[in-house]
Formats: sequence, structure tokens, C-alpha cells
Amino acid sequence: MRTKFSLLISAAIAAGIGATYLAAHAGANRPTEPGPYETALVGAALIGCGLASWRARPDNRLGPVMVVTGFVWFAGLLSEATSAPLYTIGVAIEYVFICGFIYIVLSFPSGRLRGTLDKAIVLIAIAGSLGLQVAAMLWGSGSGLRCGGGCGDNLIQVFHDNRLALALLDLQRALGVVLTLTAIGLLTYRWLRASRPQRREVTWVLIAGNATLLALTFTVVDDLLGNPLTSTPAKIWFATLALVPIAVIATFARRRLARGSVAGLVVQLGAPTGPADLRAALARALGDPSLELAYWFPAEARYVTGDGRPVHKPDSGSERGSTFVERDGTPIAMLLHDPALEYNSGLVQSVCAAAGLALENERLQAELRARLVELNASRGRLVEATDAERRRIERDLHDGTQQRLVSIAMSLGLLESKLAPDQSGAAPIVREARTALTLALEELRELTQGIHPTLLVERGLPVALEELCRRAGLPAHLKVDLDVRLPDQVETAAYYFVSEALSNAVKHSHGNEVRVEVSYDGHILTVEIADDGIGGASIGPGSGLRGLADRVEALGGQFTVSSPPGRGTRLKAEIPCA
Amino acid sequence: MRVAVGDDAVILREGLARLLQEAGFEVVGVAADADELLELVDRSEPDVAIVDIRMPPTHTDEGLRAAKAIREAHPAIGILVLSQHVHARYAIELLSSGTDGVGYLLKERVADLDELSASVRRIGQGGSVLDPAVVSQLVGRRRQADNPLEHLTDREREVLALMAEGRSNRAIAERLFVSEHTVEKHIKNIFGTLQLPHSPDDHRRVLAVVTYLDSE
Repeated sequence: MRTKFSLLISAAIAAGIGATYLAAHAGANRPTEPGPYETALVGAALIGCGLASWRARPDNRLGPVMVVTGFVWFAGLLSEATSAPLYTIGVAIEYVFICGFIYIVLSFPSGRLRGTLDKAIVLIAIAGSLGLQVAAMLWGSGSGLRCGGGCGDNLIQVFHDNRLALALLDLQRALGVVLTLTAIGLLTYRWLRASRPQRREVTWVLIAGNATLLALTFTVVDDLLGNPLTSTPAKIWFATLALVPIAVIATFARRRLARGSVAGLVVQLGAPTGPADLRAALARALGDPSLELAYWFPAEARYVTGDGRPVHKPDSGSERGSTFVERDGTPIAMLLHDPALEYNSGLVQSVCAAAGLALENERLQAELRARLVELNASRGRLVEATDAERRRIERDLHDGTQQRLVSIAMSLGLLESKLAPDQSGAAPIVREARTALTLALEELRELTQGIHPTLLVERGLPVALEELCRRAGLPAHLKVDLDVRLPDQVETAAYYFVSEALSNAVKHSHGNEVRVEVSYDGHILTVEIADDGIGGASIGPGSGLRGLADRVEALGGQFTVSSPPGRGTRLKAEIPCA
Repeated sequence: MRVAVGDDAVILREGLARLLQEAGFEVVGVAADADELLELVDRSEPDVAIVDIRMPPTHTDEGLRAAKAIREAHPAIGILVLSQHVHARYAIELLSSGTDGVGYLLKERVADLDELSASVRRIGQGGSVLDPAVVSQLVGRRRQADNPLEHLTDREREVLALMAEGRSNRAIAERLFVSEHTVEKHIKNIFGTLQLPHSPDDHRRVLAVVTYLDSE
């Protein structure tokens, strides 16, 4: 590698010296021909920057293309040579370097031509600069090839028609104008459609490239008009020409500088971060505000965002680029970013390496959050299923057992009325059976009412709570500030909450009365129950309070207990009504 | 006395019809849901309609709504609503449109033939009946200092409960083994303590009592 570069540098210096000599000793200098300074400047810029790019990014074709373009540029100066073979070669390839420039600006930053239009432009440029030139050389020589005098012999001349040769060269220049204008349009259009990071990536090269192409057009037009502006347009063109490789290498160098932001990232990651912070820090370090993070969930074998949304890997050629982060061979995260970052994979890799631990951390947290969400959902489903089951049992008891028992009671009543007076011994037994049945029905009624409160469904929470308080074993004061129906599961939760809390107060508080307060602010239903008893209640496993907490929390609500010894117990549930 | 029966459970409505016939009532027909009952009542104009509170299609409070509809269309027809639950709320809703010829009883009360016929007769005559379980819920609650019910003696509270069930002074006297005169004295005290307007009619008192209890 090093030898190759040393060889190239030596060859470039030799070619440069030769070309500059030829430029300085040109016989009949036409205005559009580069002088010695332009020759050295453009060639050195191309080969120097080309070699630097080649070294920095061996996988990118731009470096070699710039180097080759530099040599072609020097070789074009052979058109000033007096030796016939060198002159012939020099004239033939005099304008081929323009194709190299067009290739560079069109293919930047990837070094690959993107579409058919790009390829067509480069192919037509080759046909125009080399093909039409050679064609002109077949017919013309000397002034036919715009040589003012002292030119070498054109070895490939076959016919003698300088007018045709000049016409062909004019055609070549006209074609050049069309091509350069097309390229300018294409580049500008692309820039306007590009994302922010993409733009930043190409701006310098675009400016230098467009300036060069404009200056070239200007020069060619001036040339077609017979050079009324003499050599000024050409001098501007050569100066801008030297800027293109400088813009390329400057952009590559800035990427290297961007990696300095990785150091800043490492410092930032030292501080405690949340999911948004980590994303913001990475976005800053990569210079891509559109950056998204997705974490690997092994259980589901897919990537999921921090808030639990599954993400698919973008297809190649889509609007988004992706980079995968692994630690010890296991996937951690996927970065979805602007495709422009793919040309700067070095930066992306350094950022990922620096943020690996933080990403792994965040992945674990995201997984935890997702499991919590799932857990809450399954809790909610359990409560819902329980309620549905209770409703079914209540209905079955009502329609089945209760009715059957009532019907038996009726039959007993009928039997009692039909007993003849002489069977008076049987009457007390029948009556006894009927009384026992009445008691059984009473118990069943209590049971079904506890299983599923029909009144809640039929009349809503305030009425059902009123009834609960009416039945409570302690005087219960109810204050309800609620005039809308809430979702079933919220009403049910609030109902059971009050029901359980009331029976807790009756059983354990030793208090004299209970206050129940219900209010609704449009989002959250707040239920508070306070007794004036002995206090000292706590949420332990197996306690009735635990069950209350479960029901409330299953709906994403909050449950609080305040029960200082000797100062009563206050239970509070806040249930969100989605 | 002519009676119509509405209940979606066939064993209950047939059983009830049989009991009523046994007790000497004329059963004009039975209905399986609210619409059928309304039609039956329109057609045969019974003295009393007995209706189950929970009927198709929603099995919630169709009976109660049917009762209200009958009251509006035929104010003279007495209504007895039967329920398997002690819902004071429903009793209050039922009585709130007037207590003449209205009753609310738990279903199993019908098994006592004497009770059943007494209740139906009272309703047919424009009186009112309220299940003791509902009454005890209304009277028995809220033991607290600021509740005027606390100022009643136990005996007065007993009398109040029987009044709320819709019983006459004589029935109360019989039940408590005291003279009618004593009952009247108790009632006067109760009305005084609770500051209720005095009213000579038995059943009007129910409304007064229930309204008072509910307004607490």
C-alpha cells in the first residue's frame, strides 16, 4: 500500500513537472488552454486530494477516480508537445478529464453513480470529449483543430476538411453546454430533495461542482463566440476546478472531525439518562435529528421501540438507513437513521461502540416496561374475566336456584292451605320447612348481591353506593359528585372498593360511622372512605386491603391507605377513566 | 277480586296463579313479559297486576317500568311488584308516583298464602304494601346523633316500621298486642318527633314515612 502510494506520488510529480513545462512552453497558447500555474494547481489538487481520500477511505472509488483524473489532466497537456505521437495523443484526450469531474460531482459521496441519468450523462460526456475530438482529428489538423500555429502533426488525420473538423468541435462544445446544464439541474434538484444530514454531506462538493460546471459552460460559450473575454473565463474555470477535489477531501476530513463528537457522547452517557436523553445524545453525536432507536426483545425475536411499538428493518433502498448494535454477539438495538449516515459508517460504528452499554441498559429497561404494560393488561383482563364470571353466576342463581326455591316455597304454601284440620300435626312441619326455605333464600340473596350488584348495572354508581350505604352495618354518610356513567370496569371497581371498605370498617375499625366520598373531575374518579375507628390498618399480603389495591391498580389507578393508630382509617382510590 | 300475573319464569307464574286461585282470587291471565302484561291489563282490566321486576329482554327493571306504564294508563289498577332483591331504591321509585294501590314485596313472601292474599287485597283496595326487609333497611340505618330517628323509642320505631309496610292502626295494634288507642298515641309522637304532617289515611302515611326516610 505504502509502496503503491510512493510510486503514485513520484509518477504524479514527474507528470506534473512535465505538464507544467509543456504549459509554460506552449507554442501558440489559446485562451482556453491552461497556463503553467493552472496546470500545476489543478493537477496537484486532484492527485493530492485523490491520494488522501484513497488512503482515508480505501473502499470509496472517489480517491482513485480523482487520481486518474489528475493524470489525465496532466496528459492532456501533451497537446502542447511538438513530437507528433505525443501531440496526437494529447489532443485526443485533451478534454477527457471533464468526464472525471462530472463523475466525481455526480457520484459524491458514495463514489457510485446512482441512476441511469447519471450514467448517461457520464457516457455522453465521454462520447463528446473523446469521440467527437477523435472524429474532428480524422478530418482536420492545425487550424482545423483550433491550433493557432506551431502545432505538432496530427497522425490520425485521414481526410482533409478543416471546416468539418471545426464544425465537429463546435458540436462538441454545444453538447458540453447541454450536458453541464443538465448536471447542474440534476445536482440542484437532488440537493433540494435531500434530508438535512444528506445536504450537509454534499453541500461543499455541490457548490464547488456547480461552480465548476457553470464556469465551464461560461468558458465554452465564450469560446464558441470566439473568445471575446480572452482567457478570463478559462482562468475562473481552472480555479473552481481545483476546488472540487479540495471540497471532497474537506468533507471526508470533517467526518473524521465528527468522530470527535463521540468523545462528547461518552461524557454525556456518564450522566444518568432516560430513553429520550439517550436518543437525543445519539442524534446529536450522529448529526441526525431523525434518529430512532429500537431495542431487541429476545422473547419476541423482534425490535421494539422504547414505548413498545414493534419496528421492522427498513428495506434496502428505502428512505431510512439502519445500523445494528451487538454486544458479545447478541443483538441489542437497531438505529434507524438517515441513509446518508451509511457513507460514514466509521462514525456510526464509533457512536454505537461508545453507547453500547447505555443501549444495553436502555434495552433492559424497555423490556421491563413492555412486560409491565403486558402485566397490567393481563391484570385488567383477569379482573374483567372475574366480573364476567360473577355476572354469569349471579344470573344462573337468579334464573335457576332462586326461582326453583321460590317455587318450592309456593308449593309448600299451597300444601299448607290444603291441609285438612284433622292433619293439624303436619301444619307446623310444613310451616317450619317454609321458614327454613325463606331463610335459605335470604342467604342466597345476600350471596348473589355480593357476587354481582345488579343495581350498579341498572342504575349506576351513585344509586348502587346509596344502597350499599343503606345496608352497611355502620351509619354511612355518602357524598357523590358524579352525574355521568363511567366505563363498566371503573364503576365495578369503585363499587367493590366501597363495598369491601365498608365491610372492613364494620368488622375491624370499632368505629361509630363511615364517610364515603366520590368525586369525578372528568378524568379521574376519586373514592375516599374514612372511618372514625382505631386505625392501624395496613396493606399486607392476604389482607382485604390487598384485594382492594389489586382491583384499583389493575385499572392503572392508585390506592392509598392512611391509618394512624387511634385516628381512624382513610382509604383512597383514584381510578383513571380512559 | 281479579288479578293478572306477569313473570317470565313459567313455574313461578303458574305457581302464583295457582296460589291466588286457591286464595279465592280470579286470575284473569298470565303474561311472560312486560308487553304481554300491558296488553293483558288493557284487555281485562284486573283489580291488581302482579309483576316480576326482572323480565326479558334485558332482565333488569322491566317490571318496574311496566308498573309505571300501568299506573299511567290505569291509575285505578293496583300493582304489586315482586323482586328477588331488597332494593329500597326501586321501592322508593315505585312509591314516588303515589302510594295508592302499590306494593313491593320479596318473591318468597308469596309462599305465605295468608300474607299474599292480605297484601293483594290491601293493594286492590287502594292501600300500600312495603316489604319488611326494605322497611328495616330504611328505618334501621344511620344510627347517629343528628338523625331524628334516634329520638324515637324502640316501640315507636317498631310502629314506624309497620306503618311503612302499609299496615293499618288496627293491624299494628294486633301485631304489637296493644290497643289501637296506644298505637294512635305512638303515631302522634312519631309524627311530632319527625315533624311529619299528620294524615288520617293509612297508606298516605307510607309515602310520608318513605319520603322522609329517603330524603335523609
